Amino acid sequence: MQSWRRKSLWLALSASWLLILLRVFPVLRLAEPARRQAGAPQGWPRWLDAELLQSFSQPGELLEDGPQPPQAPRGGSCYRGACFDASRCRGGGLKVFVYPAVGPISETPRKVLTSIEGSRYHTASAAEACLLILVLSPDTPAGECHPELPQWDGGKNHLVLSLHPAPCLRIFQLGQAMVAEASPTMDTFRPGFDVALPLLPEAHPLRGGALGQLQQHSPLPGVALIAMAEERGGWRTVGTNFSACPWDGRCEQDHGPKQTHPRATLPNATFCLIPGRNPDALHFLQALQAGCIPVLLSPRWELPFSEVIDWTKAAVVADERLPLQVLAALQEMPLTRVLALRQQAQFLWDAYFSSVEKVIHTTLEIIQDRVSGASAHPSLLWNSPPGALLALSTFSTSPSDFPFYHLQQGSRPLGRFSALIWVGALGQPPLKLIQAVAGAQHCAQILVLWSSKKPPPPRWPETAVPLTVLDGHRKRTRFCVMREGRGTTLLSQASDRFLPYSAISTDAILSLDAHSSLSTSEVDFAFMVWQSFPERMVGFLTWSHFWDETQGGWGYTGERANEFSMVLTSAAFYHRYYHTLFTHSLPKALRTLADESPPCVEVLMNFLVAAVTKLPPIKVPYGPWHQEAKPPLVPGSPRLRSEPRPAAQDCINQMAAGFGHMPLVSSRLRLDPVLFKDPVSVLRKKYRSLEKP
Amino acid sequence: MRGALGVRPPSPVACPGLPPLVPALPAQRWRPGAPRHPTRAAVARAPRHEPVTKRGAQPEAAVAEECEEEAVGVIMCASVKYNIRGPALIPRMKTKHRIYYITLFSIVLLGLIATGMFQFWPHSIESSGDWSVEKRSVRDVPLVRLPADSPVPERGDLSCRMHTCFDVYRCGFNPKNKIKVYIYPLKKYVGEAGVPVSSTISREYNELLTAISDSDYYTDDVTRACLFVPSIDLLNQNSLRVKETAQALAQLSRWDRGTNHLLFNMLPGGPPDYNTALDVPRDRALLAGGGFSTWTYRQGYDVSIPVYSPLSAEVDLPEKGPGPRRYFLLSSQVALHPEYREDLAALQARHGEAVLVLDKCSNLSEGVPAARRRCHQQQAFDYPQVLQEATFCMVLRGARLGQAVLSDVLRAGCVPVIIADSYVLPFSEVLDWKRASVVVPEEKMSDVYSILQSIPRRQIEEMQRQARWFWEAYFQSIKAIALATLQIINDRIYPYAAISYEDWNDPPAVKWGSVSNPLFLPLIPPQSQGFTAIVLTYDRVESLFRVITEVSKVPSLSKLLVVWNNQNKNPPEDSLWPKIRVPLKVVRTAENKLSNRFFPYDEIETEAVLAIDDDIIMLTSDELQFGYEVWREFPDRLVGYPGRLHLWDHEMNKWKYESEWTNEVSMVLTGAAFYHKYFNYLYTYKMPGDIKNWVDAHMNCEDIAMNFLVANVTGKAVIKVTPRKKFKCPECTAIDGLSLDQTHMVERSECINKFASVFGTMPLKVVEHRADPVLYKDDFPEKLKSFPNIGSL
Repeated sequence: MQSWRRKSLWLALSASWLLILLRVFPVLRLAEPARRQAGAPQGWPRWLDAELLQSFSQPGELLEDGPQPPQAPRGGSCYRGACFDASRCRGGGLKVFVYPAVGPISETPRKVLTSIEGSRYHTASAAEACLLILVLSPDTPAGECHPELPQWDGGKNHLVLSLHPAPCLRIFQLGQAMVAEASPTMDTFRPGFDVALPLLPEAHPLRGGALGQLQQHSPLPGVALIAMAEERGGWRTVGTNFSACPWDGRCEQDHGPKQTHPRATLPNATFCLIPGRNPDALHFLQALQAGCIPVLLSPRWELPFSEVIDWTKAAVVADERLPLQVLAALQEMPLTRVLALRQQAQFLWDAYFSSVEKVIHTTLEIIQDRVSGASAHPSLLWNSPPGALLALSTFSTSPSDFPFYHLQQGSRPLGRFSALIWVGALGQPPLKLIQAVAGAQHCAQILVLWSSKKPPPPRWPETAVPLTVLDGHRKRTRFCVMREGRGTTLLSQASDRFLPYSAISTDAILSLDAHSSLSTSEVDFAFMVWQSFPERMVGFLTWSHFWDETQGGWGYTGERANEFSMVLTSAAFYHRYYHTLFTHSLPKALRTLADESPPCVEVLMNFLVAAVTKLPPIKVPYGPWHQEAKPPLVPGSPRLRSEPRPAAQDCINQMAAGFGHMPLVSSRLRLDPVLFKDPVSVLRKKYRSLEKP
Repeated sequence: MRGALGVRPPSPVACPGLPPLVPALPAQRWRPGAPRHPTRAAVARAPRHEPVTKRGAQPEAAVAEECEEEAVGVIMCASVKYNIRGPALIPRMKTKHRIYYITLFSIVLLGLIATGMFQFWPHSIESSGDWSVEKRSVRDVPLVRLPADSPVPERGDLSCRMHTCFDVYRCGFNPKNKIKVYIYPLKKYVGEAGVPVSSTISREYNELLTAISDSDYYTDDVTRACLFVPSIDLLNQNSLRVKETAQALAQLSRWDRGTNHLLFNMLPGGPPDYNTALDVPRDRALLAGGGFSTWTYRQGYDVSIPVYSPLSAEVDLPEKGPGPRRYFLLSSQVALHPEYREDLAALQARHGEAVLVLDKCSNLSEGVPAARRRCHQQQAFDYPQVLQEATFCMVLRGARLGQAVLSDVLRAGCVPVIIADSYVLPFSEVLDWKRASVVVPEEKMSDVYSILQSIPRRQIEEMQRQARWFWEAYFQSIKAIALATLQIINDRIYPYAAISYEDWNDPPAVKWGSVSNPLFLPLIPPQSQGFTAIVLTYDRVESLFRVITEVSKVPSLSKLLVVWNNQNKNPPEDSLWPKIRVPLKVVRTAENKLSNRFFPYDEIETEAVLAIDDDIIMLTSDELQFGYEVWREFPDRLVGYPGRLHLWDHEMNKWKYESEWTNEVSMVLTGAAFYHKYFNYLYTYKMPGDIKNWVDAHMNCEDIAMNFLVANVTGKAVIKVTPRKKFKCPECTAIDGLSLDQTHMVERSECINKFASVFGTMPLKVVEHRADPVLYKDDFPEKLKSFPNIGSL
């Protein structure tokens, strides 16, 4: 009995010991790896003698590594320094000559030729040019690929350009010529030397171009997440609930609402999957136009203009071998990044791809950037609105000098303005106006642009700020010589006022006519407003444009209305940069047109600013009492609140044709001081004389 | 202003119905266990209209759980008790057995203690430092003898790209979007004759591997790794034997033609013709090389890295501020081809003092290393200090394209003038060298002076700053070089999580000051889309219905969303709601929180959102429609009616909230305001710090928080529309105006100060304008105006 009890006790005791052993040992075993993972993983050892290790290079080895003579360029391999002689462009900047077409050519190469000829770099003389362009046509038979080119010289300083895959490109003896080709394969592409072009559809517009489809910043709810480029062209939208890779034949068991769209339609989805084969490059542009974020699956071709465009901001380059990961990443992408990619894709489309002209001008701008070295466009100018074609690097290479980049730069426009008063043909010295403007708080200087036939008065009123008289006539000829080298052609007076005068020392310009009438208070308030909107025009008097059904064209009116789309430059604040842009970027034809009819200049300036900003100008209050003091109308000069004459009506249509579209945007608001016309004590109001003179 | 408060429940206590319940929970007694039970905290937050039974059920469950734990404790105690009692039992046994058992148990016990000692003791060392890392010497690493006929990898494949040669499957899907890097253990390789293949490891390569091992990329599990780094030191080709090194690479356990292997090399090639890439055959391995030329560099596959300058660690060279420097152009390199030297001499002859060409010193005093001195004729200069005296510094090709002098030059804030045709600059895949350097073709060396002089002063200063920043971020140490290389490869594999151009290139000062507006594309949304009105309401049904009726008159309204924030009361029946022409949805919330008004509800289909309180009945249809039109022109801003201002209180040295009728505006009240629905997403998910909780706890200032948020991300001011200065709600007149007003102002001021400290800056922008219709108060027939009915304060 007792032994049984003892035995059982012993059994219990040993069992408990066994239990402890069994429990403790595994715990101990487990403890080892677990503890090690909790701490730092077993990493690279800290050697005891780490301090004693030798350096990778002997002392002096880095200094003297056996100097070598400069190398001659190796045959067949070109890069910019060796095969492109930039010094030929030093004197007068980039000058481009294009070989004229031989025989009949198809439409696209003709558009290319027109675009090059319309560029501000174009020259008609091959001797003067530092870049010679040969446009290859896709329909040139392979037998006629070797045209006689007197200036060929082994292809040096030549650019062979082909918007569509041309058979000639494969057999042509390229020599040292650069190649601008649509979607070049990565293996043959020479970065920094060749230019990758987009693969454009057959009927791409010459200028202006198809507008982007994006109407709002964020994707519409309910829109498909992913559209898939089809092999035959067209798009297939894929439902959000996919369990497999929609582009891989192997896993076609994907189930979700699918829709196939015909070739021409643009995808309506947030992401557009584009396979990596060359022909699919066409889909790429469609996606950009639609504001659909391109997801490129291991592309074998170089992305267009990859030298300057940062595609990581607008597209996703993914590995086609990881379908599920790509889909998961797209689904989980944070909204902020989706928004940014979407907008950037659309911006790039509008800035560089929407027309043949933009594509060609971008190509030339890239080469110009290579030539100009340190004064090339910084990356920011290429990759944020309005784009490098509209932000001229000749103006400045520092982004904070432009009106567009203050946010990104954390800068502000200079806090003062220059008043530029234009005195036209029969004008009188605007003494009252000068006094009013000089009294403004932030006025830095007054410039009088004297274009009158009468000599300027010897004495000017005493003002608190410096007053300078610019001689309109002399300046004009000097600028012509400097700019175009054709001093014989006199510009007429109208666009004179928008020349980039070096005397202008501030970011803001208050453009005025001799017979404008403004009060100090109005100027002060308008300048405060301009500082919040430095990229727009801030004006007092407005015009609005409309579509005239009866005429089948655009018209514009100065009648007071509930909305407006233009402000008169006879009294407006805007950034000094627009003078440079007006003078250097507008096609000659448009400037000539504007010069012939003065109100057209106003329209043209408004067109230009609207095309850059894609936003309406801003109107600020203008006292009604100014109208009573209106001077007698001077024929032929822009007048305040003047009704545009019928002859001038047509210029808006010609300009719309010149821009390729109607850039003007209407606004329905006016910015007033916070307490404007409120029934509160006048003493509270900062701009009290805005309400009564 | 009161209107905004009107939604809040009558008492400032958050949940008036709930507090008595909380102490009543029996679970409260088990204090120690309580924090571990999130369920209990959830009870407090549970919707108030839930039936009581549920509330009772949960504590019971908790009790059961606690008991279980108690039971375990009892068992443990019991076993301990037996242990203690054990010896007392022993004397009753026979002596023979006793001895036997005592011996047995002692042995077992000793064994246990010993095991425990072995298992546990070293662990405490490991946690304090490096237990796992044995204290070893490099000399003691295992020796590997390579047979003469062991395989040699093929030469590098020039057509390799990430999508052809890189095995991306090894990287797999990784929620953190980080590649995993494995480092092979260090071995010493000898040829068949016993001659070492190379020096085992250099100081720099050891540093490099240590940096990788200390980084987030490192894994010690070879099966999970996506990238493999051999421990064979290839930094300098001159210190290794090419064929044997290749054989050593080929016998690595996961070599597999070099797939996913990353090799580091800084000094490639050897005399006489100095190849620009490592000569060791490496098949598909990625090469991080210093001194690539465009012919050997596989774009998008290899990584171009800098040549590390040992002076970076040896010499202390503080940053030099901007300002004129003594020399315009300086050349400090020693080993230059005579042809270059002639060109330099010609430059110096032409431009005199502005150009300084240095060479090595012929009569070097004792004790000064040659690397630290440079001479011009008889004049000696300290290197690299002399670089700080120059604006531009030449970096000419030597035998190799990559020169260590580039690192010194960048560090001195001297703008490098790179004259080495076809050289692929370090990290050129991500770094924008145009911002920090001037590249001049070798042919144009004689023009270099005029090229440099055409660069404006301001741009030069920016380049100098940028050069120094590049050095600090990517050249400074071996660690910086290693991590930048891995980041580049990581970005290729996880492009959706890649670091942006700005992150790579902008110096910290620029990053801090710049704002990237999330809605940067200038576009005016189509009017046809309309807006969604979101009415936050608690229980003022009558007022709510009036608001709904009023708002529904606005032509562009496309949907009305009522956020029912009262959990104690059900919303009225469907039949009682006003009949309006647009869809009306009611959303019930789980908790009465102010932030519910800014939640990105799925029901919001339009981009434009009108947030409106349930007592804002004074806004006319014209005012609201005009507000929407203004929002369309400023879709990235808050567009509201009454404006408010923040002011700096000089006496108190802090911010003050101002609701006086001033000439300036920096905020608008969200009692009625239009804004983009994206800001709802930001408010709910991206609000910095604890602002969201703070607002919910204080039941105030959600509108100030929204103003801060929008101004901070867009960098733009609000737009105040129409003259309206206040929201007057008929119901709030009864409240004692003055005293409440003052406490209200104090609270709001506190909010501003709190938010400014959380944001680390004052993002609000002050403007002096408001938006009115074009013809507002103009002498013009009223009936021809688009928005005639605007005007009351």
